Amino acid sequence: MTLLEFADVHQSYGEEEVLDGISFGVDRGAVEVIIGPSGSGKSTLLRCVNRLTDIDSGDIRLDGTSIYARDENELRQQVGMVFQDFNLFAHLTALENVTLGLRRVRGFSKEEAVADAHDHLERVGLLEQAESYPAELSGGQKQRVGIARALAMDPEIMLFDEPTSALDPELVGEVVSVMRDLAEEGMTMLVVTHEMGFARSTASRLTFLDDGRLVEQGPPEQLFERPEHERTGTFLRRLTELHGGIDR
Amino acid sequence: MSAASTVQGRVVKVTGSGLFRWLAFGVFWGYLVVRWLYQWVGADLLGMDPRAPLLPVETFRTLATTWDGTRIGGLFSFLRVAGDALPAAVTGTWLTIILTVVAMAAGLVIAVPLAVARVYGGPVTRWAALGYTELIRGTPLLAQLFVLYYGLSLSATLRELPFVGEGFIPAQAALVAMIGFTINSSAYQAEYIRSALRSVEVGQLTAGRAVGLSKLQTIRRIVLPQGLRYGIPGWSNELVYLIKYSSLAAFITVPELYKRTRDIASGNFRYFELLVVAGVIYLGLVLSASALMGRVEQRVAIPGLGE
Repeated sequence: MTLLEFADVHQSYGEEEVLDGISFGVDRGAVEVIIGPSGSGKSTLLRCVNRLTDIDSGDIRLDGTSIYARDENELRQQVGMVFQDFNLFAHLTALENVTLGLRRVRGFSKEEAVADAHDHLERVGLLEQAESYPAELSGGQKQRVGIARALAMDPEIMLFDEPTSALDPELVGEVVSVMRDLAEEGMTMLVVTHEMGFARSTASRLTFLDDGRLVEQGPPEQLFERPEHERTGTFLRRLTELHGGIDR
Repeated sequence: MSAASTVQGRVVKVTGSGLFRWLAFGVFWGYLVVRWLYQWVGADLLGMDPRAPLLPVETFRTLATTWDGTRIGGLFSFLRVAGDALPAAVTGTWLTIILTVVAMAAGLVIAVPLAVARVYGGPVTRWAALGYTELIRGTPLLAQLFVLYYGLSLSATLRELPFVGEGFIPAQAALVAMIGFTINSSAYQAEYIRSALRSVEVGQLTAGRAVGLSKLQTIRRIVLPQGLRYGIPGWSNELVYLIKYSSLAAFITVPELYKRTRDIASGNFRYFELLVVAGVIYLGLVLSASALMGRVEQRVAIPGLGE
């Protein structure tokens, strides 16, 4: 069953066409990994889903309804987002980063919010760091708090915008492992990443974007082994050399 | 002196020059507080003259006469004049503090929405906020006070209000000065806060919106708590300016510290002595304010924020 659907999505910054007619659907529970060279429109595509960026034409539907027919803040509660630079609230502890949305968006009482936030921090293995401020956490820990913060909103779908790109190599594993757990629990995920280990092992499907167009789409093994397009093959080979295709 | 014992409680923690600093603050504030309490209630209870200097002024006078013509004599002459002036100066200091604190606090209340409007507002609110700040910052404070006091005759209106000038409610001229300083300070504070808000990373705002917080919630819960922390150094600066600029209230008849000392000097022609008295008290206030703001900055500091 399709949860998220892009229907002929166009988006441009001035003259520059960033998304040039993107159409595809993401099934409920699927892990859709989006790859492509920088400037190919991957991040923009994600940001369109929770309306951080507005599209010029076409439509994006979540659960059958256009995202433009919904209340913006309600939509964003249903669509969790994890950022490349973590963007943790710098003045709040790990715990408060999670409780803020619970209290102000979901309307939990303070006690409910703290209890729920503890559950989510435990899920990403950071219960002991609950009282730490972002500056006191490692990159991997920050990103796991970022994931807990998004999960706490009880989203239908999670967007990951290059979640491991700002991490030191030795910290990538802990974040990938949390994402993998999430996939196994059946969370629908739209992941922009260069982490080929995760793509190979966990993706339901790979989507290759280039120059704002969808070039090729298919199961990871198909794109890795027998890509239909030359561009896909070249890009994946280069990426595998840089970021490793070995399952971590 | 009760103030001295609290100071002694603190000096246990500090050493060297810190000890000297706390002692100096202790003597300064100890004298101010004792005098205020004496003027408001103590003199009544003890059946004494509320204008009594509480210093051995007569001894100073005798010694000044004894050593007349020498440096020591000059010193005691200075002490006598200063001691005689202190009761009035300390009364004026209270008003100076009230003017400053009210203008800072009320100015902040106006400055925060102004700064938010400048940074996050639509074209209309942005231009309105810009117009206000530039008008206020672009004209002299003294001219603003004159416009309010003489131009708009604001004091005539305020005089009609109940309680004005009774008990701890200042008289109309002081209220006009408070309004003037508040308006003036709000424009400067808005500028400090505006630049502080700009230093909050864009990603913080994006993350707030992505969680589902509305724009106003994001500003209130994320941008302001961070931005106001970044703004503390600028804010301390404004406090220090305001303590000294509050002396302009003298020109619309407000009997604050500067006016009190100036009036005494125009009676006894001891301008140097009285300017020294006023100067020392202003310096004490300014140094206390800086120390206090330093404390505040430490108290609200968050690891990794603004470092």
